[in-house]
Amino acid sequence: MTTFDLLLQQTINGLSLGAMYSLLALGFTLVYGILELINFAHFNVFMVGSFIAMGTLQLFGLHGQEVILTGMPLALVLIAAFTVTMVASGALGVAIEVLSLRPLRNVKGPAAMITTIGVSYILFNVVLLNQGADAKNFPNPMPAKRFHIEGATLDLRVILIWIVALVLMVGLYLFVQRSKMGKAMRATAQDPEAARMMGVEVDKVIITAFFLGSALAGAGGMIFGLYYNFTSFIIGFTAGLRAFTAAVLGGIGNVPGAMVGGVLIGLIEAMAGQFIATAWADVIIFSILVLVLVFKPAGLFGRLAPQKS
Amino acid sequence: MTSWTQPLLARVPEARRRQIGLTLLVAAALLFPILHDNDADIDSMANAAAYATLALGLNIVVGFAGLLDLGYAAFFAIGAYTYGLLTSFQLEPPWSPFWEPFRQVGLVSQIAGESGGMAVHFTVSFWIALPLAAAFAAFWGIVFGAPTLRLRGDYLAIVTLGFGEIVPIVVRNWSDLTGGAAGLNGVAAPKLFGWSFGVDATPYYYVAMAMVALLVFVSLRLRDSRIGRAWMAIREDEIAAAAMGIDRTRFKLMAFAIGAAFGGMTGVFYVAKLQTATPEMFGFPVSVMILVMIVFGGIGSVWGVVLGAFILQLLQSWWLQDLTFWINAGGRLLHSDWLAHVDLVPSIELIFGLILVGMMLFRREGLIPATRPQSALSFDQQHAEVRRGGIQELEFQGLGGEHRSGETAMAIRGVTVRFGGLVALNEVSLDVPVGSVIAVIGPNGSGKSTLFNVITGLVPAAKGSILFHGDELLRLSPHEILEKGVARTFQNLRLFGNLTVLENVLIGQHARLRTGIAAAILRPRSTRDEETEARRWVMQIFGIFGNRLTPRVGQMVTGLSYANRRRTEIARALASRPRILLLDEPTAGMNPAETLELAEQVKSLNQLGLTVLLIEHKLDVVTTLADRVYVLDHGEIIAQGTPAEVRQDEEVLRAYLGRNAQAAAAGVAATGVSANA
Repeated sequence: MTTFDLLLQQTINGLSLGAMYSLLALGFTLVYGILELINFAHFNVFMVGSFIAMGTLQLFGLHGQEVILTGMPLALVLIAAFTVTMVASGALGVAIEVLSLRPLRNVKGPAAMITTIGVSYILFNVVLLNQGADAKNFPNPMPAKRFHIEGATLDLRVILIWIVALVLMVGLYLFVQRSKMGKAMRATAQDPEAARMMGVEVDKVIITAFFLGSALAGAGGMIFGLYYNFTSFIIGFTAGLRAFTAAVLGGIGNVPGAMVGGVLIGLIEAMAGQFIATAWADVIIFSILVLVLVFKPAGLFGRLAPQKS
Repeated sequence: MTSWTQPLLARVPEARRRQIGLTLLVAAALLFPILHDNDADIDSMANAAAYATLALGLNIVVGFAGLLDLGYAAFFAIGAYTYGLLTSFQLEPPWSPFWEPFRQVGLVSQIAGESGGMAVHFTVSFWIALPLAAAFAAFWGIVFGAPTLRLRGDYLAIVTLGFGEIVPIVVRNWSDLTGGAAGLNGVAAPKLFGWSFGVDATPYYYVAMAMVALLVFVSLRLRDSRIGRAWMAIREDEIAAAAMGIDRTRFKLMAFAIGAAFGGMTGVFYVAKLQTATPEMFGFPVSVMILVMIVFGGIGSVWGVVLGAFILQLLQSWWLQDLTFWINAGGRLLHSDWLAHVDLVPSIELIFGLILVGMMLFRREGLIPATRPQSALSFDQQHAEVRRGGIQELEFQGLGGEHRSGETAMAIRGVTVRFGGLVALNEVSLDVPVGSVIAVIGPNGSGKSTLFNVITGLVPAAKGSILFHGDELLRLSPHEILEKGVARTFQNLRLFGNLTVLENVLIGQHARLRTGIAAAILRPRSTRDEETEARRWVMQIFGIFGNRLTPRVGQMVTGLSYANRRRTEIARALASRPRILLLDEPTAGMNPAETLELAEQVKSLNQLGLTVLLIEHKLDVVTTLADRVYVLDHGEIIAQGTPAEVRQDEEVLRAYLGRNAQAAAAGVAATGVSANA
């Protein structure tokens, strides 16, 4: 392969990773925009989401990569699996909010953040104890059709992943910009107190943010499984940190910023893996995180919500 | 009243009770390996002690300074690999005469190298490696800390998490140096007078216990010193801390470095004990475990985090197995297959997660809270007659004494402040003569507080100059401005919430005290005298407010009345021995009697020779106190003069009351009703 082919191939790979990180970054950004809280539980909601997706696909009788579906059955199975995964993950996010974070709403200091670390740890260990430490073979019913562009290959499933991610992100963007609830969310991000006085039910807004963010993380978890053909209890940590970096890169609190940031981080990871060394990819990504936070804390596109003090 | 019905323990004085408790604890720690001759159990205790030292280190960063560090294990790793590399066969540079002096003092020895020639074998003693690794980890603490400490607390958490990940990755990938994932092997055991510790747990146990004792001592000494107070001030309110003369960057880095040093020392011990090191020993789960320990024991509580570390480590190594055994036995009895075979040991991390969430939801202060609940004042104390203190003595102690000489204390010239497109202050010029009281009035949003913020360095000026006794204040940081003698209060009260009245006001003296780290730990006579003197000075200042604050010195400021919180803030500013006092609406929220009382107190301070710049809405206060009044509106000075002149100024009346209310205005202003209250 020529350097150009490698670049092209890594762009394709990077966009796929980026689609996943974008979905995950949106959850950080939605919650941070409203609560100014780094939600560490989000890391493992993503991981749990991939297990829910695996279970759902298995319910359809799909195990491993032997069964291949095409046409309508494939579309239906995928739509059903994405829907179940997203609703269940969203419900998990709401449960975390209501049970562990709402009681701490007016507590100052790091209590809420420490709680999300604890919740994340609980999810991580429940899955570890329940499912074991081995990586699980993730069902994948998509045909192994490939297209060749120059020297690079483009899998059919990669295209599917892009489409799903794009649909979800456009949907979220329209929801935030157009719907009444979206307007309430933006208002709450600006000033919760004022929003409350204008009749916005802030608790409902927060629940919506958690539901949407976690549902997207669930979709991200399913995409992870479809892309890598495996899942494991351990996937949340690195993916979560990278997605958080993406959210910061795009300007945390900024919905389109998180999407672009995710794609950038995906591309950086793919290129760093190709041209430097996979083992150092995380070091590069964390260095970006530190550099952005130190020199441009508002991210590339600036934050939409003002900082509350 | 003491009676025989009272429990025996309560009759022993508190200090004596502590002494007895400490003696018993030390005796138990010393006797444990002798009475309980089980090597595995002694080993568990030694490990628990090592984690207690880690918890103590993280407690300095998280508990004292309030910096949430999620990558603390990185420093543990740095210490561990420092010792590992300095005693194992991992590094073998070729021999050259350069190494000869080191061989003489026993730091290296000469061995046959792999390629035939002679090579260097590092044999640095454990006892030298301890301080060396502590210093090296502290250095890395500063390197990690320097770029990140300006960040908001939650960002700091994620960046430290990233650093905590990077260090094990570097260790794993840099296998030439560290042995990579396979780890370092053949790390030498410590020696004492030529006797090697080997693999017997008892000597390690005593070393670990000695380290716990040392670090508890250091933590307690630091906590109760100028340095500890500065950390807690930063934790409670960074902006107020800066305005009270605390160099935030310096003290945050200090906390990071000391915490890292504790971690580095523990790393040396841990590796010496295990005689191996792998990257997995220092990952995120270790950082979380240490965090769980301090959350469980009580964030900021020295004895609490030690207890938390011991309980959780022993839970892991002793009790969980016992518990599993009993549950399994119970399961067999009840014919429950699940209970008979359940194993709790692998679920330790799940238990940590549950503890973390449970403590946050139900007992945030931990097992042993850092601050003990305060007993409320008795009815008599609360209603004691208000007395005025004698404040004449203050002058001899270095407050005031600058009598009206006609010179200018502060000259503000053409200061402009912009927030984006908004001009908050436009070409403001103002003079404060030495020994005078100058008032700044104006409607809300006119830029009064911004003026204070620009004087004290909290917001930058676009242009202009602020000379204070000839020194330019612009572009100085807030703590440097306080050092020059400019102290302020805040309109919206920025006290250090979880600290007592006494501690709050002691923090005000930060810039005037000199205690450094070494002095705080060793507490020589000069430091003790300084602390005594600092407390004496604080009590003098409380005297200004009669007996308003004096009976409440031990109370948390959050429990004070609004008026007393205002007084505490003024006392805190006065404690820094300012040459000019900036009061931002000092009487807001006070009733008329309290307002009058405070106005009198400010007047007395001024008569003592203290220059005052005052923002105030209550015009009667302004009239009583001010020599000269400046009126701000929309960021510009629209009028100035004596209080009487300003009251008649049409421009002022319009700014305050609108165009069509000028007729009514004179009447309102004359009755002294606050225009904006």
